[in-house]
Amino acid sequence: MSGFRTIGIVAWNTFQDNLRSRYYLLCLVFGGVVLYVSLLLGLLAADQEVRVVLDFGLSLIELLGLAAAVYGAATIVLREMETKTIYLILTRPVSRSQYLVGRFAGLMLSTAAVMAAMAALHLPILFWKGWAWSWLYPASIAGSFLKLLITAALTMFLALASSSILTALVITMILWTLGHFLPEIRFMIRWNAGAQGAISVPLTALSYVVPDLQLLNLRDMWERPAGMVRPVAYALAYAGVWVALAAARLRRKEF
Amino acid sequence: MGEAVTTPALVFEKVRKTYEYSHLGKTTYTRGVEDLSLSVASGEAFGLLGLNGSGKTTTFKLALGLLRPTSGRISVLGGPPLDAAAQAATGYLPELPYFYPFLTPREALRFYGRLSGLSGAALEARIEKALADVKLLDRADRKIGQLSKGLTQRVGLAQAILHEPKLLILDEPVSGLDPLAIKDFRDTLQRLNAAGQTIVISSHSIVELEKLCHRVAILRDGRVAALYEQAQWAKNEGGLEGLFVETVTAA
Repeated sequence: MSGFRTIGIVAWNTFQDNLRSRYYLLCLVFGGVVLYVSLLLGLLAADQEVRVVLDFGLSLIELLGLAAAVYGAATIVLREMETKTIYLILTRPVSRSQYLVGRFAGLMLSTAAVMAAMAALHLPILFWKGWAWSWLYPASIAGSFLKLLITAALTMFLALASSSILTALVITMILWTLGHFLPEIRFMIRWNAGAQGAISVPLTALSYVVPDLQLLNLRDMWERPAGMVRPVAYALAYAGVWVALAAARLRRKEF
Repeated sequence: MGEAVTTPALVFEKVRKTYEYSHLGKTTYTRGVEDLSLSVASGEAFGLLGLNGSGKTTTFKLALGLLRPTSGRISVLGGPPLDAAAQAATGYLPELPYFYPFLTPREALRFYGRLSGLSGAALEARIEKALADVKLLDRADRKIGQLSKGLTQRVGLAQAILHEPKLLILDEPVSGLDPLAIKDFRDTLQRLNAAGQTIVISSHSIVELEKLCHRVAILRDGRVAALYEQAQWAKNEGGLEGLFVETVTAA
């Protein structure tokens, strides 16, 4: 049996399981309610109403997607180890790497579905408020998805390395926050390179670990649209490295 | 013409497994199994008996590649435990199996069947057969989360036999089942064994092992303390239970 087929089977199982869980349904309901609440905020913004509804909606889609992806990535393997459902998979001709990549792909597929559903709720509100369609909208959603891809890969590695859901979530949130300030961290490295070079060493090390989420914040570049090739390549490479490290960690685990 | 030599289904040669736990810089070591050697012939029904902590589950996990031996050699159907061909020809039922609660038994079997390399009409036919074998056809489309413990155990057996494995490893398969379900389980296992499948089973129910197995190994402190054949417990006044008590209480 080909490795890709195995990964596809595991991914589809994850997708099915996630979409049937109440957590994803709640995300969707909550997203729908809050998107409509954004209408009220838009009214307060007077002549910037469309901009507020647009920005608020895109941020909300990303945050709810983030919650689903990060929680899923932190729990997906550890929960299976705890409930021992992993036994019935790994005792079949499924390598641990295939299992992990399949679970991760299924998780990201579920996250993409939730984000697409929330966007489908958001767009009618925008059109109703007189917004003119722009391809930057799906590009912004794609940028958010790439951020979640990176963050989820990092979380999955942290969960496997620490065997603690809480530790993985806390470290992820710190790195996620720092990831939005990477340009500032790089500025500090350049600024400290001379007289206080010692500070730039740990900062430089940090800058290699922290994901550059600002690069993927395409909704902040509405006025100056950037190309998609670099963000996509960066996200795939960064997420790939963390998934590979997570797979290496899983291969060493005993059950 | 000489008798054909068949590869044993399962071989353990001087296997040792030591668990290592590290906490706050302090490492502790616990014995799983020690100097464990046994060989299960192809087509045999082989039982593992032992008190809690004697190494039965560790033995199974080593055979399935879920644990790595600290030393020694393990062979499953002629290959290492993680060999894909050996894994494809092995079925496993863990003690108290847990399934994805949102799936139905039929969906769960479809998932496990695909992972075992089955597909299309052949997969669907095997699912129907496995469901019929464990008498679960009438509950096949109900969510697993809504099934009782006994019915969930039947799903566990169905996923283990679905791909018609050569080797079936069953860890406490009848724990918590009602007497009728136990009899159904035994009938199914006897039928599979009669059809040529090798069965390795652990159970605290000595009566079940007595009825099903050709040989039984008694584990004590991670080692094979005694190995009995059917004829031995048949002629022993206390049966297999008498031999077991004698073995585990011996100084």
